Amino acid sequence: MDSINHRANVLTPEESKILAAIADRIFPRTETPGAVEIGAVQYIEIALAGDYAVLAPVYRRGLRAIERCAKAKFRRAFCLLSEAQKDEVLVDFETGAVPGFKLAVDFFEMVRCHVLEGVFCEPQYGGNRDMIGWRLVDFPGQQFGYADAYINKRVDLEPVAVDSSKPQEK
Amino acid sequence: MGQLNADACDVCIVGVGGLGGIMAKQLASAGLKVVGFERGPAPMHEDYAPRDSIRFLIRPEQLEWVRNEPTTTRKKTGDKSRLQYRTSPLNVLGGALLHWTGQSSRYMPADFKLFTNEIESGNAERAGADLTGYDIIDWPLSYNDLEPHYERFEWEFGISGEAGANPFAGPRKRGFPLPPLRHSARMKLFLEACNKLGYHPYDTAAGILSRPYRPTEPFDARIPERPACVYCGHCNFYGCHVHAKAATLYTTIPVALETGNFDLRTRSKVFRINTDSDERVKGVSYFDAEGQARELHARVVILSAFVFEHVRLLLLSKTSRGRFAKGLANSSGYVGRNIMAHGDVRAMGAFDNYIINGFIGPGSAAMRIDDFNGNNFDHTGLGFIRGGTIGTSGDGTPVARFDVLPPDVRPWGKEFKEFYTRHYTRTMDLNMQPETLPHKDNRVDLDPHHRDRWGVPLPRVTFDFHQNERRLQKFMASVGEKIMRATGASKVWSEEKGRPNRWAGGTRMGTDAKNSVVNKFCQTHDIPNLFIVGSSVFPTMAGYPPTATVAALTYRTAEYILAQKHWFD
Repeated sequence: MDSINHRANVLTPEESKILAAIADRIFPRTETPGAVEIGAVQYIEIALAGDYAVLAPVYRRGLRAIERCAKAKFRRAFCLLSEAQKDEVLVDFETGAVPGFKLAVDFFEMVRCHVLEGVFCEPQYGGNRDMIGWRLVDFPGQQFGYADAYINKRVDLEPVAVDSSKPQEK
Repeated sequence: MGQLNADACDVCIVGVGGLGGIMAKQLASAGLKVVGFERGPAPMHEDYAPRDSIRFLIRPEQLEWVRNEPTTTRKKTGDKSRLQYRTSPLNVLGGALLHWTGQSSRYMPADFKLFTNEIESGNAERAGADLTGYDIIDWPLSYNDLEPHYERFEWEFGISGEAGANPFAGPRKRGFPLPPLRHSARMKLFLEACNKLGYHPYDTAAGILSRPYRPTEPFDARIPERPACVYCGHCNFYGCHVHAKAATLYTTIPVALETGNFDLRTRSKVFRINTDSDERVKGVSYFDAEGQARELHARVVILSAFVFEHVRLLLLSKTSRGRFAKGLANSSGYVGRNIMAHGDVRAMGAFDNYIINGFIGPGSAAMRIDDFNGNNFDHTGLGFIRGGTIGTSGDGTPVARFDVLPPDVRPWGKEFKEFYTRHYTRTMDLNMQPETLPHKDNRVDLDPHHRDRWGVPLPRVTFDFHQNERRLQKFMASVGEKIMRATGASKVWSEEKGRPNRWAGGTRMGTDAKNSVVNKFCQTHDIPNLFIVGSSVFPTMAGYPPTATVAALTYRTAEYILAQKHWFD
C-alpha cells in the first residue's frame, strides 16, 4: 500500500497534533512504547483518506471541540495540558459532559477504537509499527498455523506479518 | 460450464451460498438443468483467505459482499429505521458458509415440538413463564425425518465430533466422519470445570476438518479432498486459507459445475419472482452482471437467499390483484412474521497465572454443554421456558478483543494498557446461545424510505427481545459465570443482555396453511413450484446455530423435488 509512505493530508498539522495527544492518553507511553510511536495516528490518517473517509468531518469537528473544551477548562491548548488535565478533558467526552457538543460520547468512543486499531492492526494498514503492538501483548501475528496448542505456555514464535494487498506465495 | 438455453431451465436457484450450493449439486447431478443466481461475485482465494482482521473483522462493511445489500433495522413499530450492514447474508458465491465458525450441532428431538412439549404439557405454566405475544407452533416434521439428511451433511462436508458424548443429543445411525479437533487451553479448563460441577461437557461438532478428508460411498465421492485445519485462528468471519472449513465454494459448487447442468450467474440479482396465473410461478426477473434487466423461465423456483431476502422477494413480487396481492405465498399473511435471533450472552474470565492463548483457533474447537439447553433442566418457577447451549469461545486477534475487560478496568489509559498487555493471552469467554421465541412484534417488511442502488426497497427488520428472552438471557449469563468461576479464573464477569445473532423465521413451516408459509418439504402452501430453504422456515429456533439443520432441510427438499419426476417431463 503506497499510501503508508505519503501521509494523507485529511487533517491539518494542528489537528494531527491534537489527535496524537489524545492517542498518547488512550494508549500511553510507559516503560514500553505508546500509541504514537506504534503508529496509531498514521493508521487513522490513512484510514480517513480511504475506508473511513466519511468520518473525516466528524474528526475535524471533534478535534475542534477537544480544543475548545481544553481552553474553556484550563485556558490552554489541549497539547499543552498536563497528563491529568488532558485526561479530565477526555473524561468529559467519554461521559458526555461537553456543553454544545452532542457527539462527545460517540466521538470519544470512535477515537478510542481507532487508536487501538492502530496499535494492533496488521502493519499493512499503517499502524502496529514493527509489530510492536503485537509484541506487547504476546500475539505472534498472522501465523500460517500452530503445531502445538500452547496450553499454559507462552508462544515463543517470532511474530509474522503478511501483507494481504500483495500476491501471496502458496 | 455448460451453455444452456439462455432463458429457460428446469430449476432456478436464487442465492448460491451455503444452501444454494448444496441444492445446485443435488439437482444438477440428477440431470436437471439448473440456473443459479448469486448477487455477489465468485471470490478468488486472495479475496477470502487473507488472515487480515482489519478487512474481515473491523471493516466488513467495506467488502463488496456486504456493502451493496444492507438492511434497515429498528426495535419496534413506529421507530425510525436505520441502515445496517450485516455479514449475514454474505453476498458472495458460497455465502456465509465461507466465513462461519463451523459449529455444526444437530437440533435435539424436542426442539421440533415446542407447542406440544412446552405449552400443551403444562411446562410453561409450571415455569411461570409469561408467553403473551408469542406465537408458538410445532414443526411439521420430526428429528427422525431429518436424521438421514443431517448424516449426509456431516459426511459430505466432513464434520469433526464424537458420537455419544452428549447425553442430550438425538439418536444417530452413524458416527462422525472425523474425530474432534485438538483441545485448546480453554477447552481443557471448561472440561475440568464442568466435570467438577456435574455437567456433561462434550466436543462441539465442528465443520472444520480435524484430518484430511474426502467423502466416500455411499456419500458423494466427487467432492474433492481437503486438508486438515492448521489452527491458525483466523476462522470466524474469515475464509479458510487451507480449505479445512466446511464451505460450498470448494466442495459442492465445483461438483455442480462439473455436471455441465449448472449455469451459474454471479453478480446477478433477482428482483422479482414471476407468476403466470394464480397457481404457479413461471420464473424470475433479474439484473445481470451488466445491470440489464432480464427474465428467466423456470419450472421450479427455489429461494436460498437468507431470511431478509426471502421475505423481501415474496413481498416485492406481489401482483396488482388476485391471490398474490399481499405478496407471493402470503395468503396466510405470515410472510415476514415471527423472525427470531439468538440473544447471545457471554461470561468472561481473566487469569493471573494461566496462559490461554485464545488466538489459536479454530473457534469451533470448543467444549460445550447442553445441561441448560431446551427443556433439559427443571424450569419450575424460573419464569421462562427454554434455554441454550453453552460453550467455550474467545478466539480473536488483539484488534478484536480490546473490549474484553472486567467492568472495573477503564477501557483506555495506563490502566487499560497494563491489563491488556498482561491479560490478552490470559482471558477466555463462554458463549451462550439462548433461544428466542417467535413473537408477533418481530418481523421483516419492505422499508418505505430506503432503497438499494438498483432502486429496490430494502428489507426492514423490526426486532427486539421480549420477556421470555430477557429472563432467559440473564439466567444463562449467571450459569456462564458459575462455570467460569469453577475454571479458577481470578476475575469473572458477564454480559447479560443478548445481542441478536443468527436469524430465523419470516416464512415459517407448518401443517396449517392459515398460519404458515411452507410445508414440511419447504414448498410454499400457495404455490407448489416455489420452494424456500433456509432458517426463514423455522417456526422456532432452538438453542443451537441453524447451519446443520438448514443443510439437512436442503438435502431433504432436494430429494422431494427430484421425486416429482412428472414436473420435468
